[in-house]
Amino acid sequence: MTMEKKEIFDAVVQNTTEVLPSLTAHEINSSDALKDLGANSMDRSEIVMMTLESLSLNVPLVELAGATNIGELVDLLYEKQ
Amino acid sequence: MKIVGIEAINVFGGTVYLDVEKLAKHRGLDMSRISNLLMKEKTVALPFEDPITFGVNAAKPLIDSLSDEEKDRIEMVITCTESSFDFGKSMSTYCHDLLGLNRNCRLFELKNACYSGVAGIQMAVNMVLSQVSPGAKVLVIATDISRFMVEEGGDALTADWSFAEPSNGAGAVAMLISDQPKIAQIDVGANGYYGYEVMDTCRPSPDADAGDSDLSLLSYLDCCENAFLEYCKRVEGVKFDETFDYIAYHTPFGGMVKGAHRNMMRKLLKAKPDVIEADFSLRVLPGLDYCQRVGNIMGATAALALTSTIENGDFEHPKRIGVFSYGSGCCSEFFSLVVTKEGQQKLRALNINDKLDARHELSMEEYDGILTGSTALKFGTRNTVLDEDFIPEARETLGQPTLFLKQIKEFHREYVWLG
Repeated sequence: MTMEKKEIFDAVVQNTTEVLPSLTAHEINSSDALKDLGANSMDRSEIVMMTLESLSLNVPLVELAGATNIGELVDLLYEKQ
Repeated sequence: MKIVGIEAINVFGGTVYLDVEKLAKHRGLDMSRISNLLMKEKTVALPFEDPITFGVNAAKPLIDSLSDEEKDRIEMVITCTESSFDFGKSMSTYCHDLLGLNRNCRLFELKNACYSGVAGIQMAVNMVLSQVSPGAKVLVIATDISRFMVEEGGDALTADWSFAEPSNGAGAVAMLISDQPKIAQIDVGANGYYGYEVMDTCRPSPDADAGDSDLSLLSYLDCCENAFLEYCKRVEGVKFDETFDYIAYHTPFGGMVKGAHRNMMRKLLKAKPDVIEADFSLRVLPGLDYCQRVGNIMGATAALALTSTIENGDFEHPKRIGVFSYGSGCCSEFFSLVVTKEGQQKLRALNINDKLDARHELSMEEYDGILTGSTALKFGTRNTVLDEDFIPEARETLGQPTLFLKQIKEFHREYVWLG
């Protein structure tokens, strides 16, 4: 069964707030870049890894490196599931 | 008997260093970000220091401790580097000459970014195991220095300077590989390797780095898992938490290793954060010490982490160390070796910590003076005499004979021992 984009987006948001608790009260949108939300490259890789794990996906991390914002990351994950 | 390993190993961490926190303040960088790097100091290469001086200074104590007969059994010298100054002539020829080694010797150089040192170790191991020349020894010299000029033009491949500058260092690790593994015995056949083409970080022009730090980080993490899984296919009954008493990771910066170890612990063992934190302190932190003081020395970093682990670990009983190397581009390997109390004592006799303590601390003014270029030694320099009065403190700070670059005459480099 394929996941909906909404489910993937929610997982990204949940893991983003887990890595960066200061964003808990902040509304996160598809157009936001993790970098602009304050995530450094270690944080970003952490968010991606945790999202893969929570969605039980096994995708090489380098294939997800091209995303420039959360929406693009969700699209990539959606395509690769 | 298939016995092979590291007979001797030494680190040379330079003559001058920079305090990373002071550098970050000087650059006005975000301090919380800098503390996440987990770096303390970084060695800086002066204009009269090059990969040869670092490499030979690392190897000299090892060679001096050999008898003439033993020295004559060095039949291969491999320089492992991404900082060479000649596309054809191998730096191993200079090292061979400066160390006064036997001429019946193979001399060549290896490159694959930060994987070069481990590639060199494995070539040496295979030379010993092949028994084509029983008793032969191989001198592996992994040596790299940072480049300071960032490649201009284009956005995609611009290095994340705020990460790279505080973490990129200069240094060398020299290793004697033979059938007398006095420091560490290699687990023969216990190798997981994993590589593929990726454009993460590279040195596409003579004096600059380029790279996508995000991509590199993700590639490192992919490789760490896959190299380890391949190791598990080849060795029976491996458990990530039980088989290895220590793990020495290639360390671009400490925070990266922390992230990688967290990823491995979570994926392989479903470990919880508090367990991961304790395990990191116990099994990984001993290897981080030298890396935090010298910085990322590319091809030599995995061996630097290994040396630091042997120096700082508890070896009352023989212990197994897992080593992970990643080189951009990319190739990676997970392998293992066993260290005893005697191995640790032999390493400690070299007083590597004292040498690191003896380095001269650069002021920001001195450091910026190196960066601004008038003294920088550019790739392809044909003739020059190095300025002996530039940061003269460096030349005697270690209190031991130290090799420096004296001049370049028609591209040929001439060196001098001082102190």
